[in-house]
Amino acid sequence: MEHADVNVVYSVQHQLPLVMYIGQYFFFTGLSAGSFVISVIATLLGRKEFKPIGKITALLAPCLLIIAPLNLILDLEQPLRFWHLFLFYNWTSPITYGSFLLTAYPIMGVIYAVMVYTNRQNAAKILGILGIPLAISVHGYTGFILALAKARALWNTAAMPTIFLVSAMVSGIGLVVIIAAVRWKWFDKKANAETREQDKRLILQLAQFMAYVIMLDLFLILSDILVLLTAHSDAFEAGMLILTGNFAPLFVGVEIIMGSILPMILVLGPKSRKSLTAAVVASILVNIGVYAMRFVMVIGGQTIPLS
Amino acid sequence: MAKKKRYAMVIDIRRCIACHACTVACKAEMAVPLEVNTTWLKIVEKGTYPDVRRFWIPRLCNNCTDAICARNCPTQATYKRDDGIVVVDQHRCIGCKYCIASCPYDVRYINPLKNIVQKCYFCSHRVDAGLVPACVESCPTRAMVFGDKNDSKSEVAQLLAANATVVLKKEMQTDPQVFYINADETAMSNVEEDINYYTEGALAKLRI
Repeated sequence: MEHADVNVVYSVQHQLPLVMYIGQYFFFTGLSAGSFVISVIATLLGRKEFKPIGKITALLAPCLLIIAPLNLILDLEQPLRFWHLFLFYNWTSPITYGSFLLTAYPIMGVIYAVMVYTNRQNAAKILGILGIPLAISVHGYTGFILALAKARALWNTAAMPTIFLVSAMVSGIGLVVIIAAVRWKWFDKKANAETREQDKRLILQLAQFMAYVIMLDLFLILSDILVLLTAHSDAFEAGMLILTGNFAPLFVGVEIIMGSILPMILVLGPKSRKSLTAAVVASILVNIGVYAMRFVMVIGGQTIPLS
Repeated sequence: MAKKKRYAMVIDIRRCIACHACTVACKAEMAVPLEVNTTWLKIVEKGTYPDVRRFWIPRLCNNCTDAICARNCPTQATYKRDDGIVVVDQHRCIGCKYCIASCPYDVRYINPLKNIVQKCYFCSHRVDAGLVPACVESCPTRAMVFGDKNDSKSEVAQLLAANATVVLKKEMQTDPQVFYINADETAMSNVEEDINYYTEGALAKLRI
């Protein structure tokens, strides 16, 4: 909206309430949910060559989810009162869903990891199927946290939970590729040549799967931006802020070009698709891109003035 | 049967002289620290020289009927009293700041001395003692009027019945209880000429 000759003489703009602790929390839960889903897929398919990846991810998921809520508690102004969340819950607040999901999901994750490591396949499969909705809701609710704060135009979209879930998948797969490649390079030397070749092929396949999920992510971001630019004035300002404004270097440069398009070219390009190094570089770039996305969403969404 | 009390405020901007007395009275009454404001006056200039005019609007918490902050508060620290005033329980607030992020009016803030969220409560402690809020008390031109909207004999109800009033951001479905007479659209609007200037200001205040 153009106010060609309007000059704001005095107004009050309060401090941004949510800082990067929240973005980091979103990033870590995303990684956790993404790796849990990969682990369950590996367990359900049950093929022998998927086992190493299934095991790594089963361990990663609960570990990352122990780091994640620490960010939330650090972000509180009164960290010692965090137990109020459980005692004085409010069912209309998405944070209340979150505080119970964040308690249930790591417990589930630890039990699942024990089942996977002790080779109890059937129990692991059942727990995995039960755990997937939990993993999806533990990350999906973070999208609702932003979407239900309806005053912020950048957040208030029905696509937000889906965007968060898909970008969580992207970063989760990226992390698994990095860790699986590290294991292949330094901790897998004793295995025979055939198994090593198989493992490498599996890592490359995982990286290609990541590229397809990135495509879905890009489509969701495109539809989000398109609707922002054609909706009401606040939404238009939000869209322009991330496309051409102060957050453009992070959004267009780091998130879209460096964190989505470049990894896609690296993983699917004819020259680099057989290279493990390219897959690892793509995975690192993807994780930087997703971290930038959390920053743009959480911090950028709040910088649009409300008064 | 007597209707339930519903406190509301009417601000007649035809009478307002932009003296900032409400800001100062509020600072003193609520012990509001530096850098944050519970009540303030937003001033805009419209036009190009020599055809310039100033418009202003006093801003405070709207004590909404459907308050998003109360809905989103995870600990029920923010709740609505029976008379419609939205209050924050200081001892229950954990400072998750989700209410600040949800509020469409930017009237909530972290009290840097107490480390909890605060906002305007229509001076509920004064209202309970039979007084009016400090800003209303201090207003030299009686531009701010406070009272029970459901009592048809109150000045608020009569002003609401006799005047064209507007509220801030009606589209947010919050049913605000601060009504303005003769408010300028630009002063009420939040979309500024150069948004990047404001994002820079906001980022400068970012605490990590």
